[in-house]
Amino acid sequence: MDKSYRDLFFAESQEYLRETNKALVQLEKNPNDDEAINTIFRLMHTLKGMAATMRYDDLADLAHALEDVFDGFRRKRLKLTSAVMDVIFESADAFATLTEQIKEDKGVSLKVTDYIKRIKNILPAGETISHQSLKKTSKGKVETGDEVDRLKKLVDKNNNLFSVEMVFNEACSMKGVRAFLVLNRAKDFGQIAGVTPSEDDLKNENFELNFKFVILTDKNEKFVTEELSRILEVDEAKVSVYDPEPSKGKKGANPMLKKIQSMRIPVERLDKIMNLMGELSIAKSRLVQIVQTKDHARLEETTHFLERLVASLQEEALKLRLLPVSFVLDNFPRLIRDLSKKIGKSVDLEISGSEIELDRIILDEVGDPLIHLIRNAIDHGIESPQERTRAGKNPKGKIAIDVSRQKGHIVVEVSDNGKGMDFEKILHQGQERGIISIDETSGIDSDKVLDVLTAPGFSTAKEITDVSGRGVGLDIVRNKLEVIGGRLELESQKGKGTTFILTLPLTLAIIKAMMVVMGKDIYAIPLMNIRETVKVSEDEIKPIKDAEVIRLRDEIIPIVRLGKELEIETTPSEDGQISVVIVEGRVKNMGLVVDKVIGEQDVVVKPLGSFVKKVKGVAGATILGDGRVVLILDIVNVK
Amino acid sequence: MASRVLIVDDALFMRRMLADILKKEGFEICGEAENGKEAVDKYGELKPDVVTMDIVMPKMEEIDGVAAVREIMKIDPQAKIVIVSAMGQHALVVEAIQAGAKDFIVKPFQPSRVVEAIRRVVGE
Repeated sequence: MDKSYRDLFFAESQEYLRETNKALVQLEKNPNDDEAINTIFRLMHTLKGMAATMRYDDLADLAHALEDVFDGFRRKRLKLTSAVMDVIFESADAFATLTEQIKEDKGVSLKVTDYIKRIKNILPAGETISHQSLKKTSKGKVETGDEVDRLKKLVDKNNNLFSVEMVFNEACSMKGVRAFLVLNRAKDFGQIAGVTPSEDDLKNENFELNFKFVILTDKNEKFVTEELSRILEVDEAKVSVYDPEPSKGKKGANPMLKKIQSMRIPVERLDKIMNLMGELSIAKSRLVQIVQTKDHARLEETTHFLERLVASLQEEALKLRLLPVSFVLDNFPRLIRDLSKKIGKSVDLEISGSEIELDRIILDEVGDPLIHLIRNAIDHGIESPQERTRAGKNPKGKIAIDVSRQKGHIVVEVSDNGKGMDFEKILHQGQERGIISIDETSGIDSDKVLDVLTAPGFSTAKEITDVSGRGVGLDIVRNKLEVIGGRLELESQKGKGTTFILTLPLTLAIIKAMMVVMGKDIYAIPLMNIRETVKVSEDEIKPIKDAEVIRLRDEIIPIVRLGKELEIETTPSEDGQISVVIVEGRVKNMGLVVDKVIGEQDVVVKPLGSFVKKVKGVAGATILGDGRVVLILDIVNVK
Repeated sequence: MASRVLIVDDALFMRRMLADILKKEGFEICGEAENGKEAVDKYGELKPDVVTMDIVMPKMEEIDGVAAVREIMKIDPQAKIVIVSAMGQHALVVEAIQAGAKDFIVKPFQPSRVVEAIRRVVGE
């Protein structure tokens, strides 16, 4: 090894040891100093990597052991007592001595194993913590033979089914994570199933160097082989067309839905559009005439006529995309029957409002989230028949899906009469894992619970089950809904059941928006996000810490000066009154300060081109009657 | 043209070693960062072809290694990030992969492994 690396190593590790000691002293004064804990954890991890690179294995092992201890503190699995602190101080000193001895190169007398043994003694029994922590975040689905069956059915001229066998290099380290990486990469271009050994076994490194899976993809064999062999430490990716051996298991459920590719449209709807088109061309010829005669009175009349025509045409065109919700819901009785049978529960399904029509695209998007919710309900919500009998309930559980129209939205409620959720416990866990912070005043609020449940990889399920795996996937459900401008809410009562409420827009193409003025321009805020608009005077805006808030009927609402946030020049109003639009953000309500509120309007959403797509706070654009382009603000992500 | 690499690691020692290994193989080191925040800023500024990212780093303005991966993927969904991590911390590496990191290398590494990982990621 180059001498300059050696010098650099010692110089830098000495600096890190100084930092470590400083943090240790802080920690001794205040055992709850999380920052000190994190710092030492990080320093030990860094030192471990450096020492291992220099092949100073004793140093690396000692740093590793200390890293585990601090990881334990971080995860609150280990208590910091004065006895523990003593061991840590001694080990840190040993680390310094050992570093010095290696640097002097006059032989090493310190026996690092003694120290490591003592550190191991203060760790909780079992494996090292950094290894266990893997289990907590893994959110793999448990694949079954049924999954493979399902993929088999989807094979057509565009989609192939391949068996893949991956072989890793012998030198491969952290092979569990590497397997995860491979599967993750494969999911980029296909659907996978039949992972053997199971994804959980892979993650826990219960495998040699090879594993298998089946992939459904629109790519060809060559692409799959190349893509998968490109991954580091992959010695070989054997890809072959899946051999459809007769499957042993019975036919499974159909847990994912196919996208709607064609649909029936009633002839009368098409005729209506043709009629409107006819009238539209009459209006056009009238306009041509008016241009010649310059007849002002007739121009006005024709414009009104045209306005009505276009509005009807728009309405009819949108109707073409409508499908009854039953299109998706009809799949569910079978799904529920199969899923509940599999885990020995008995569940009835009640569906109402399935005749309500919804935009095809929204219907497509909402199918998978609904399946997620139903799986969760069967898996975690509904109790076993025995438990239900004991609790004095009907041994047969019930899941209800209720679709209704409410104030310009479609609302889908998925409820079960199972055991409900323990909000307090969930909030507590969320706090423990640092997902949310709770002050005593805030109390229990279902939105906060939802924030915890939708944190990636979070799960309250104690056991892995075949149905919904470890991660409940609620984060996916919520994200999907938000992408299409919908909303997820939660109601639950311990012992009584849980209801998920999905609020969906009627269509993605036209939304109701509140038009506001800032500076010289007009902006649109989707009405879906708006709770109300108020006017306040400047002195009603109070500073709290580094934020500003207003008080509205006993509610403290933080305000955002939109102009400042989006870097737009604004003009203060003349009467000293400030217009504030109260919006419902993802976590809390916010007041957006604007120059002026104009009013509600239907706007046609035009997606932004790739050029400006990633601008923060902007969801799209629309064009006003006078040709002006108006940006539609993305409230969820504005702050 | 040589691929441009941004090296992110809190230890100067690691940065120097990675830089030497990569330079020898004809890569251009267009920048170095020692924390997540700096990594995100430099990514936007330098638009490198590939980033090597240490996963455990000091938090700056709430951005640690995994958060930096997330932020960079937000800036550029095509970003190519290779995680460089010491053994252990499986969960963090998994998180980084979920956030969009393309591959990972485990310290202590063979120089050839580093070069290969980066070549494969940039598609050379």
